[in-house]
Amino acid sequence: MSDATTRYLAAWKEKGITTLFPNTIKIMVGTASCGLASGAASIAQAFKANIAQNNFDAMVTTTGCAGMCFQEPLVDITIPRKGRFVYGRVTPEVVPQMIAALQHGNVPDGALLRYTRHECLINGFVKRYLTIGATKKERDVPIAHAFPFYRRQLRIVTRNCGFIDPENIAEYIAQGGYSALATVLDKKSPQQIIRMVEQSGLRGRGGAGFPTGLKWRLCRERTSKHKYIVCNADEGDPGAYMDRTILESDPHAVIEGMLIAAYAIGATEGYIYIRDEYPRAIACVEKALQQAREAHLLGKHILGSSFSCTLTIVRGAGAFVCGEETALLKSIEGDCGEPNQRPPYPIEVGLWGNPTVINNVETLATIPIIISKGPRWFSSIGTKTNTGTKVFSLVGKVQNIGLVEVPMGTPLRDIVYAIGGGTSNGRSCKAVQTGGPSGGCIPERLFNLPVEYDALAHCGSIMGSGGLIVMDDKTCMVDVACYFMSFLEHESCGKCVPCRIGIRRMREVLESICAGTATVEDLEKLETLAHLVAQASLCGLGRTAPNSVLSGLRYFRDEYMAHVHDKTCPAGVCKNLITYRIAESACTGCGVCKKICPSGAITGPRKKPPQIDIATCIKCGACLDVCPAGAIITI
Amino acid sequence: MLNLTIDGIPVQVPEGTTLLEAARQCGIWIPTLCHHESLTPYGGCRLCVVEVRERKVTHIVASCTAGARNGLEVVTCSDTLLSIRKGIVSLLLAEVPQSPVLQELGAAFGVTGDTRYTPRNDSCIACGRCIRACREIVGVSAIDFAYRGYKKVPAPPFFERSESCIGCGTCVAVCPTGAITMHDIQAGIYSRAPDGSIIEGPARIIDNWKVSFPLKTCSRCGEPFVPQAVLDHCAIYAKLPADFFELCRECRQ
Repeated sequence: MSDATTRYLAAWKEKGITTLFPNTIKIMVGTASCGLASGAASIAQAFKANIAQNNFDAMVTTTGCAGMCFQEPLVDITIPRKGRFVYGRVTPEVVPQMIAALQHGNVPDGALLRYTRHECLINGFVKRYLTIGATKKERDVPIAHAFPFYRRQLRIVTRNCGFIDPENIAEYIAQGGYSALATVLDKKSPQQIIRMVEQSGLRGRGGAGFPTGLKWRLCRERTSKHKYIVCNADEGDPGAYMDRTILESDPHAVIEGMLIAAYAIGATEGYIYIRDEYPRAIACVEKALQQAREAHLLGKHILGSSFSCTLTIVRGAGAFVCGEETALLKSIEGDCGEPNQRPPYPIEVGLWGNPTVINNVETLATIPIIISKGPRWFSSIGTKTNTGTKVFSLVGKVQNIGLVEVPMGTPLRDIVYAIGGGTSNGRSCKAVQTGGPSGGCIPERLFNLPVEYDALAHCGSIMGSGGLIVMDDKTCMVDVACYFMSFLEHESCGKCVPCRIGIRRMREVLESICAGTATVEDLEKLETLAHLVAQASLCGLGRTAPNSVLSGLRYFRDEYMAHVHDKTCPAGVCKNLITYRIAESACTGCGVCKKICPSGAITGPRKKPPQIDIATCIKCGACLDVCPAGAIITI
Repeated sequence: MLNLTIDGIPVQVPEGTTLLEAARQCGIWIPTLCHHESLTPYGGCRLCVVEVRERKVTHIVASCTAGARNGLEVVTCSDTLLSIRKGIVSLLLAEVPQSPVLQELGAAFGVTGDTRYTPRNDSCIACGRCIRACREIVGVSAIDFAYRGYKKVPAPPFFERSESCIGCGTCVAVCPTGAITMHDIQAGIYSRAPDGSIIEGPARIIDNWKVSFPLKTCSRCGEPFVPQAVLDHCAIYAKLPADFFELCRECRQ
């Protein structure tokens, strides 16, 4: 890095340090979408109002998502000489009390965890929070790295998430941001960068796991006047929000990664394709682009070098299929989002016929750290063929819903139980769906499976973009497959016959299985159809669509057979196949079920176990949810 | 020139040839539905799938859209391919059981449509031939696909009377399943146009695009032949004397 650049970035860094580690009390409110959805905006407002009212010297800023979505809205308070404390599920009502405690020099009660130090991964800068003034009680708050949710995690891509203000470029630079770009522009040739990425073993985090370095090399080798870099942020899987969180919490990491990629492949133009359902992410990236432009980190002659690159946001119009790269390119070009057959791949014929590299948000956010820390450091994490870490959104019937980042090859069991804390309702865990609607369900008995591209593909599932949906034993696998099929039927672009008609037919057969009208023959029909759709479809959407059915038939065939053969739903979900009963031995006669029943089907004398009239019962399940003794059973 | 093998036969084709063209060149029949030799390949019906082996990896691709590459090994008929084609014909037959083209394919592959599924109200298989013909041959782009997925259907903008349709009927000619209905009404006959108004013959009606056109009558024989809009459209592109368009085809000869 040249002296001028070093000085320039050092000036930004100093500016960032003053807001990152101020000398006063600092209150950070997590205002990523997850926080905002649980009311973070009003909490930030309440803090500001209370501080102004009490004429109190404290700084209130916003930050992204720290991953603990189950504790949102999260508030992070740094108190000089006490340490840094994190509070979960904060309500506007407790804000005055917290401010009062802070004014008296105390740490507000109810802290979830505390940090004693903050280490910047890129430049190795360590900030120790002084805890000299902390009392014994305050020291008893669990330390973050020992906290169960964080203990098994390795936060590399999400290193800045929930710590820096995503709308302040200085804080990103203070955390070693844009130093990788400066190094690259000053010292490294595009070939060297490509070699570094190849050596790191980074594979595309969008789901297919194609080696990123190889993709860049193939594009670099194309002789074309125009080349493009595209960031795929069209994350549409139900239950997956890794990309959104990264864009909302650390947008500059993605921008820096894109600029490095553009330099490596020889592109001067780039597009960030974000789905329009992510307004917060779009706003954050827009702001970040503007700040980067003003700081000469984007646009013409970046950091005084000869390299120029412009980045533009393109908003997707809500089609799941536009996450498929050829459909995404069509959408950017202004056409209807329909995929084309590959080959030719976008690296050969991409945007407006020019070579184009399309990388996922997470892949691009990983690039700066690979350049800064070196490929060897990166490849030492994870397994041999699956290096680095992967961000997952852990959702479903799990206690600790949130965003987790673990080294590749971490057993599924560790993610679900050690980090996720097991099921939320104490029931046994049945399966985990990986990779969203295109993925498969992995049964509990295979939970020792290391989470990596190849192992998951071997099990009939896919890594996908990283959604992990945990299911308990009250989940019917046929019902789940039916849900995903109807999602995909709705999202299929309709270009090719197997996907357009095949998925609809599969959904119809699954519905008849749930309704108890299917025969064993239909099950065979379903399997044949699933193979047809998987083999003959045009794009990845169709080819992976039957995974949930095929993995269901592979691991939960008995459940399918129970529906078809015995006309029962073992999980007690499919309405046509179950009846509600009251287990008299468990019933306490409290009568809550009688009150809640909307159809008046539950009758009986007071303080005695009531009866359910099967004819009037509409099987809504209200009694099941409300019974305190667990006496309502489904047969 | 590119060298590849199709079903073991070595073939040499010029750059830019598709696998379907290469196969047809050596006399191999591959069934197609959405493909039309005058239109850009679409790759939607997936009937023309072939197995392609390159660098020890086998892919299943649509031969109409896949370009020939050096050293490719192409298999046009295998058990997998046959089961895919059977499956697709069966899916389509269940959708549009009355289509002669599909019935023919069904007979060739020995499959019937599954009667448990409800057939469509129309005969459209969303192959997009009409749309491509209108855009590429006629140069009008009066129609395009509306909706997505199973509801996907070619339509004029907003399903309203097409402003740019010239009533040439090319879409009708290329439709493999006869899903587009066009009829000419004779002189002196009154009929209801798709927009609800009453029109007097000679006129042409295309129901799908909700259009009707008065037909031009031949100045010599007095027979109606094509809509005036078609002649106007042709006059832009063809450098012909104005009176050329006054005569019908028979009288011109």
